[in-house]
Amino acid sequence: MRYIFVIFSLVFLTFSAGLAQVDTLGADSTLLNIAPPAPISNLTVYDKANDHGHALILEWKPSPDDAAGKNTVMMYEIYRSESPDGPFENIGSVPSGNSRYDNIGILEKEARDYIPDNTDLYYRVDAVTINPEIRTSSEIFGPVRSYSNWFHRGRVPVLFAVLIFGGLMMYFVSVARKGAELYVRPLAGIAAVDDAIGRATEMGRPILYILGLGTADMISTIASFTILSRVAKQVAEYQTQLIVPCYDPIVMTVAQEVVKSSYLDAGHPDAYNDDMVFYITTNQFAYVAAVNGIMMRELPATNVYMGKFYAESLILAETGAVAGSIQIAGTDEVGQLPFFIVACDYTLIGEELYAASAYLGREPLMLGSLKAQDYAKAAVIILSILGIIAANFGWTAFTNIFKVLD
Amino acid sequence: MKRTTLILMALVVIFFALSWIFKAMAFKGVEEHYILQGFLVTLAAFLTLSIMSFLYKDNPFYKFAEHLFVGISAAFWMSMGFWSTIVGNLFPRLSEGMSNFFKVHYIPGDYNFFFYVPVILGILLLMRLSRNYGWISRWSLAFIVGTTAGLNFIRYLRSDFINQVSSTFVPLLVDWQGIGHFFSSLNLSASGQFIMMLANWVIFLGVMCGIIYFFFSKEHTGLFGRASRVGIWILMITFGASFGYTVMGRISLLVGRITFLFRDWLGLNI
Amino acid sequence: MMNAFTPPLALALVDIGRIISLTLIAAGLLWLFIRAIKLKEVERRVIFLFIFISVAAPILFPTVFKEKATPVVKAVFDKIESLPPGSKVLLSYDFDPAMAPEVQPMADAFSRHCLVKGHKIIYMCLFATGQGQFTRTMENVIRPEFPEKIDGVDYVNIGYKAGNEGVLNVIISDFKKMFPTDVNAVPYDSIEVFKGIRSCKDLDLIISIGGGRPGIKEWVLFVGDPGDVPIATGVAAVVAPQLYPYYPKQLLGLLGGVKGAAEYESELVAHYSRFKDSPTPALLMMGPQTLAHIVIMAFIIIGNVLFIQGRRKEGKR
Repeated sequence: MRYIFVIFSLVFLTFSAGLAQVDTLGADSTLLNIAPPAPISNLTVYDKANDHGHALILEWKPSPDDAAGKNTVMMYEIYRSESPDGPFENIGSVPSGNSRYDNIGILEKEARDYIPDNTDLYYRVDAVTINPEIRTSSEIFGPVRSYSNWFHRGRVPVLFAVLIFGGLMMYFVSVARKGAELYVRPLAGIAAVDDAIGRATEMGRPILYILGLGTADMISTIASFTILSRVAKQVAEYQTQLIVPCYDPIVMTVAQEVVKSSYLDAGHPDAYNDDMVFYITTNQFAYVAAVNGIMMRELPATNVYMGKFYAESLILAETGAVAGSIQIAGTDEVGQLPFFIVACDYTLIGEELYAASAYLGREPLMLGSLKAQDYAKAAVIILSILGIIAANFGWTAFTNIFKVLD
Repeated sequence: MKRTTLILMALVVIFFALSWIFKAMAFKGVEEHYILQGFLVTLAAFLTLSIMSFLYKDNPFYKFAEHLFVGISAAFWMSMGFWSTIVGNLFPRLSEGMSNFFKVHYIPGDYNFFFYVPVILGILLLMRLSRNYGWISRWSLAFIVGTTAGLNFIRYLRSDFINQVSSTFVPLLVDWQGIGHFFSSLNLSASGQFIMMLANWVIFLGVMCGIIYFFFSKEHTGLFGRASRVGIWILMITFGASFGYTVMGRISLLVGRITFLFRDWLGLNI
Repeated sequence: MMNAFTPPLALALVDIGRIISLTLIAAGLLWLFIRAIKLKEVERRVIFLFIFISVAAPILFPTVFKEKATPVVKAVFDKIESLPPGSKVLLSYDFDPAMAPEVQPMADAFSRHCLVKGHKIIYMCLFATGQGQFTRTMENVIRPEFPEKIDGVDYVNIGYKAGNEGVLNVIISDFKKMFPTDVNAVPYDSIEVFKGIRSCKDLDLIISIGGGRPGIKEWVLFVGDPGDVPIATGVAAVVAPQLYPYYPKQLLGLLGGVKGAAEYESELVAHYSRFKDSPTPALLMMGPQTLAHIVIMAFIIIGNVLFIQGRRKEGKR
């Protein structure tokens, strides 16, 4: 009985296997009859430029049977090995019609996609038909090595810009340090500060100086210190009252020193007291509320806003306008400039704030960088004109100089 | 406090208590936690109205809402800083034990000795709290200022300088086929030749004159002065546009609040 | 939720409301104008009252205007439209509730458009509060309108990471390093959406929605320009003018404020009939916007009349 069962099973298995065989033959007979496609040609593999290594790029001329000829190529499979004799490992594939594969490795050594640097590698590309069994391999390309680059050539324009701008800056700062006279044109806003201080003296009302919400390391705050020093000096000479409410404790400490030394320079050290420059709070709108209170109570003749300002700009300037003060503002915060312009009598726009500070302070660093910026601007004007001429005549070579690649 | 003030405050409290009850009843059956939901909507409406009341006059309700906002936002950012920077970014790279303790996903293989550098710099920054050793925090600040300056310098130079300069390379004559063709095909469509050329001319002259206005090494007289006048005009037009946009933005925020009051709170759905 | 394209039920009531409120505003402005000529100052609270009425009336009695997309907005729409289905789009929610009325409609519209086109969306945020805003999109757009879309397959939310531009500086070369998991702690490698994505450079489009810092400027500086990835944006009106210089080379398009959002919504409704009944908050907002703008313009005129009259009077003295 047992034997019968075994024999029966064997017969059944053989029969069904045979059936299956017949079945696949029937379905795949057309696939089996595909002639192997022509191989790809001109395979080249080269290191990816301007990178940190671990990447190679493959390029080839597609098989003549890719979308033409016998039209049987479905995709290309890429194989890699560390020896010309193999074993070759499949690392990826691209659909037919492509003639390039970027083999970009993962940086972790354990990963499958890892490509070692400075190691001989060999590549092969297979033209594969719809039946993966039928394929034609290309000739083996190699050895090729991937390596990392010290220098990113695509970023040369940035390097040049850094060198030119940095060079100009260093040159002018050193020139200014040597005491050369660097011309800065007078600004309307600065003259207005002088007038406003005179007016405050006549009216017997104080001057309110706001350093903004910036911290002590911001350029606009530093510029504001220089202007404060000038204002304080004149205030000391005229014996007017000065109020400097501060938002940042460090800014307050610096401002106290600035005002103190200005009073000393003016020859009235006795007129200075620490209560002129005081701290309020480091909370935007709480600070605004407090300053608005001061404006409405003290009714200053002049409000000076110099430094970094945010959403509080309009609230401050509007309250000052309601209080009837003359207002002079200056900030490099572009978004807040419109508000100062509509609500103040004079506004130093953006860079004018730095220029004003350089003009008043004559400090070599500020003066030198201002000069360097002027030259950079001149360069922009010249380059733009050249670029526009190039664009009109279609000289792409010129515009390509400015292409930064990554 | 004056008696009228007390009565007024009591009325406000009663009003919003009623609102809570009504809101909770409205949410019943719709929301799971209908009492809480009713309270939240009422509270939001109360705070919105408290802040808006400043437009009439400064008052205790406004002050309460403002201080609440300041306090909550300070606490929110502090806890956010801890959970997203220290727990979210640092622990998963430093210690598996700590990651498990705070239930964050540990990243194996990402451990790096250099992650201790920010830890040390962070601790140095906290030295600011000490009166005597506060100066040490400047080392961290110097690091922050230095690295961001370096990082930004290159990025800004590239995006805001080189790319922006090359963006001004626009042809002043677009699709030029002679003056006869220009006038015969003159139209005001946005993609038409005339408008395209006008836009390019505005960009060209605007950039030139704007830069000239910010040129400080030369007195603004003669032709240079005239270009600088044009520059300031262009700047003012820009500021005007910016102002207009801001008005639009602020009105949108007001619309958002009033929509909340009308629809979500009062339930006015016409 | 109200919809811009279905006529309100109480039509007659709405019309009466519109007429009454418009008459009220017009009469008030005329009265102020006459007062201005007579050189009587306007109290600031009166201005607030007018703005309130001009904003509130169109909300109560909705008025919808036809919008036509301007080239800057159309550029964004066409980009999403032209990408093949399955493209990877990153939406970064770089805003907080304070900016939401302006930019949330944009975020929702972008989500709708990408999902209906069959793109895969990666949601992230550079603002911690952006997470909560994404929840709104989830609840108002994805769940009710696209219940068939699966988290992790059609979209993924990778959440917030502290570090501002530092985050961008990392994901330009390696996503996984900064976002080892999504918000639900699903590991990066097992998320379907991230198949074939190693860094931002592999994305087909990045859209940052915001208006503060960090925001779109950081995206352009740290990802768009160095990675050569197409970037579009929807921003709060306040910052829009500062971003125009980046268009069209560094930004392929931009939606400025609620006007931009309304244009996008109208474009979406015009192209896809399935969105006819979807909420269009930005289009609805244009009613109050328009009326408020007219009132503000009237006040600018009144203010100038006052100013000129004042000067003339001083001159006489």
